[in-house]
Amino acid sequence: MTRLARIALPTLVLTALALGVGACGEKKDDLAPESAEKFVLMLDFFPNADHAGIYAAQAKGYFEDVGLDVEIRQPPDPAAPIKQVAAGQVDLAISYEPEVLQARDRDVRIVSIGALVREPLTSIQSLPSADIKTPADLAGKTVGTAGIPYQSAYLQTVLDKARVNPDKVKERNVGFNLASSLLAKKVDATLGGFWNYEGVQLQQEGRDPQIIKIQDAGVPTYNELVFVANADALDREGGRLRAFLGAMSRGTLALERNPDTGIDALLKANKDLDPKLQRESVKVTLPLLLPAKGRPYGYQDPREWDAFVSWMRENRLVKTITTAESALTNDLLPGEGPGK
Amino acid sequence: MRPYRANIKRRPAPRGDFSMTILKRYLPAAALLALALVAWWWIASLEAVDDLLVASPGEVLGAFGDDHELLLEQSWVTLQEVLLGLAIAVVAGVGAAVAMHLVSPLRDAAYPLLVASQAIPIFVLAPLFVLAFGFGIGPKLAMVALICFFPVTVAMLSGLDSVDRELLRLTRSLGASRLRVLRLVELPASLPQLFSGLRIAATVSVIGAVFGEVAGADAGLGRLIFLGNNQLQTPRVYAGVVILTVMAVGLFALVALLERLAVPWKRQGGTI
Amino acid sequence: MQTKLEAPLTEPLSLDRQATVALTGAGRSYRSRAGEVEALRGVDLELGPGELVGVVGPSGCGKSTLLELVCGLQQPDAGEIVVAGEHAAGARLENCAYMPQRDLLLPWRSALDNAALALQCAGIPRARARLRARPLFERFGLAQFERARPAELSGGMRQRVAFLRTLLPRRPVLLLDEPFASLDSITRAEMQEWLAAALRDEPRTTLLVTHDVEEALYLADRVVVMSARPGRIVAELTVPFERPRPRPRNETVTDPEFARLRRAALEALAQ
Repeated sequence: MTRLARIALPTLVLTALALGVGACGEKKDDLAPESAEKFVLMLDFFPNADHAGIYAAQAKGYFEDVGLDVEIRQPPDPAAPIKQVAAGQVDLAISYEPEVLQARDRDVRIVSIGALVREPLTSIQSLPSADIKTPADLAGKTVGTAGIPYQSAYLQTVLDKARVNPDKVKERNVGFNLASSLLAKKVDATLGGFWNYEGVQLQQEGRDPQIIKIQDAGVPTYNELVFVANADALDREGGRLRAFLGAMSRGTLALERNPDTGIDALLKANKDLDPKLQRESVKVTLPLLLPAKGRPYGYQDPREWDAFVSWMRENRLVKTITTAESALTNDLLPGEGPGK
Repeated sequence: MRPYRANIKRRPAPRGDFSMTILKRYLPAAALLALALVAWWWIASLEAVDDLLVASPGEVLGAFGDDHELLLEQSWVTLQEVLLGLAIAVVAGVGAAVAMHLVSPLRDAAYPLLVASQAIPIFVLAPLFVLAFGFGIGPKLAMVALICFFPVTVAMLSGLDSVDRELLRLTRSLGASRLRVLRLVELPASLPQLFSGLRIAATVSVIGAVFGEVAGADAGLGRLIFLGNNQLQTPRVYAGVVILTVMAVGLFALVALLERLAVPWKRQGGTI
Repeated sequence: MQTKLEAPLTEPLSLDRQATVALTGAGRSYRSRAGEVEALRGVDLELGPGELVGVVGPSGCGKSTLLELVCGLQQPDAGEIVVAGEHAAGARLENCAYMPQRDLLLPWRSALDNAALALQCAGIPRARARLRARPLFERFGLAQFERARPAELSGGMRQRVAFLRTLLPRRPVLLLDEPFASLDSITRAEMQEWLAAALRDEPRTTLLVTHDVEEALYLADRVVVMSARPGRIVAELTVPFERPRPRPRNETVTDPEFARLRRAALEALAQ
């Protein structure tokens, strides 16, 4: 091969690939009408059944109806949603009530504007062979957690309530591997798995998991997933945020009428999700996505939140805040707030 | 150009039945692979091992069948990230090495930093890249490029340094300027070492793409594996891992092939 | 610079373009781990145009340093060196063609391209450099090896290509640093005859450094003997034979006059 060819060939190949990638890598064209404004929502995790309402609202065009061109983004790491919304890099993020409160405790300028999932999903899960039917049965067992401090506090509270000596229970940090450590029998039970997700998974795989919901075991109830906005932008962005929540409300109702709209849209946007798992998960999560009787969509109960803050203070998870007042607002919920 | 006809005595290449040679060369590797497969099958079939934890080779094959469209799609995404990232790393790495070679103070300043950069845990950098390059292919390319940059640069620099001092003196006595020496002697002389570095870069490039995707991606094998793991779809996860392995090996082979084309004199045992 | 390279290669370098070399009291010292090392001391040497002077001496006597000083790769710490009337190192470098001990052929280039490298270093494009090199290959009987890679050539062949590389830039002074040291004795003898013939066709003022006394006496007009470090010239022998030698090598080296010279040189070396 001539010298020129030796240099030219690899260069051409790489250039061609680069061009090809450049062409393929372009984001799909926005199909939203000209007037729609860009609205970036960052999820708490990879898309899953918890987000079915969002996908339903998008599929039905409810966001477009209020002039929003919603882009759904996944977080690069678990701490990103709060960080990015506080920095103003996304318009709205989904996070967890305990994390919102901890952020507020450090004076991070965020506020929760509505509940996406209004009850806890965190649970204690075990396989029948471990023989754990109530929290009291945890004595002498090993419990795997994800290494999150407030979840370790859940465990202590549960043991306290069940009058189990904490020294008799071994806690092991298994990181992301809750389900697999349970199956490998490395731990007798896990705390941190969602009953609507890992629980359903294990059920579908025929493992017959024993599920204890965390709020039934002595931890005060809380909203598992909430919408978090930048506190300083509320005045400016209030209109858009309100419009978003309004569309969410409609989308969630549409999901109730026909779950498939949301599920199909979710699966279409994420081809690597397991349809069977997601369908079942949506089914069992739906009651928590819908508002409680007599309450507007996304309602956050201030008393529940305050009780949770007290619990966090007792467990030294927050230091400065005494109530949840600065951490949440229900003013942007559909049918709420001034002028409505 | 005159056609090549020469009375040169060549060393005769060892000749035998070609197919037998291939067989002999790859037989040990194939045997080891077969042994590993059998061991894997046996472990997966054990009672004590939950089949959601370890998928058997048969189940993985099944996943290839059931999910082949999905796997193909995601593999293509990751492959693009890898190839493009590699290209960036090569261009940047060679450029950096040449710059450090020509400008001593730059080398003294940059080399320790280069080494230190490898110590930073990847998962810390991933979100930073997302912050810097936004969403899309950017952070994945940055990840691949970063992982591959080090072996390429170090190898290239080593190659440039390894040129015979006497040869450099000779070219200097013949009146060659610094840049001419670089072009005529140092760059071609450093090719074998560069390809050494490329072989390493090719194999680790895939890891970079996966890390980049786990930090937030709409598509790709890394994401597929992460989500599959999360949904206890173990056969699919294994299938993804198999494809990643094949990709890495394939890239390695590609580099070896390119090396044969670009550095033919290495085979003939010439040294400088 | 360019004018020197334009001379057509079909004609040998004319005598008036051949240069003289003069060293007066040249000395050179290094700083090494052991301290200050004096490599050369008080070297007085003159070469007339077209003259070939052989330099023999024990290992480490500074023979290679001597060559590097002449061609301008190093500067003397004492004394003066003049090449073709030039004192400055840069100018000396332009007038000298240095052939190192190892052939240093680039493995990725053909024999022709390796020779052409000499001109490419000076900025001449590859095509034109090849054009200039080709007649030289033909003239010295290497035409059939033009396309061969160094790995395919024997040791002697590689030295020949290296020598052509040294000749190509048409510099008036040739400095050969033990060119045949790495060859076996049979090949070495062949190469000596080849070199003698080559220099007949392309005369240069030449300084030949070698450890082989016989080689020096066979090829040179004069042979200079150096002492061990610090290198000084301890003897100078004039070789009374014509150059190129009228008789074949094996006859020349068995001549009694040759034997006498060899004895004298060896005695001088033994001091």
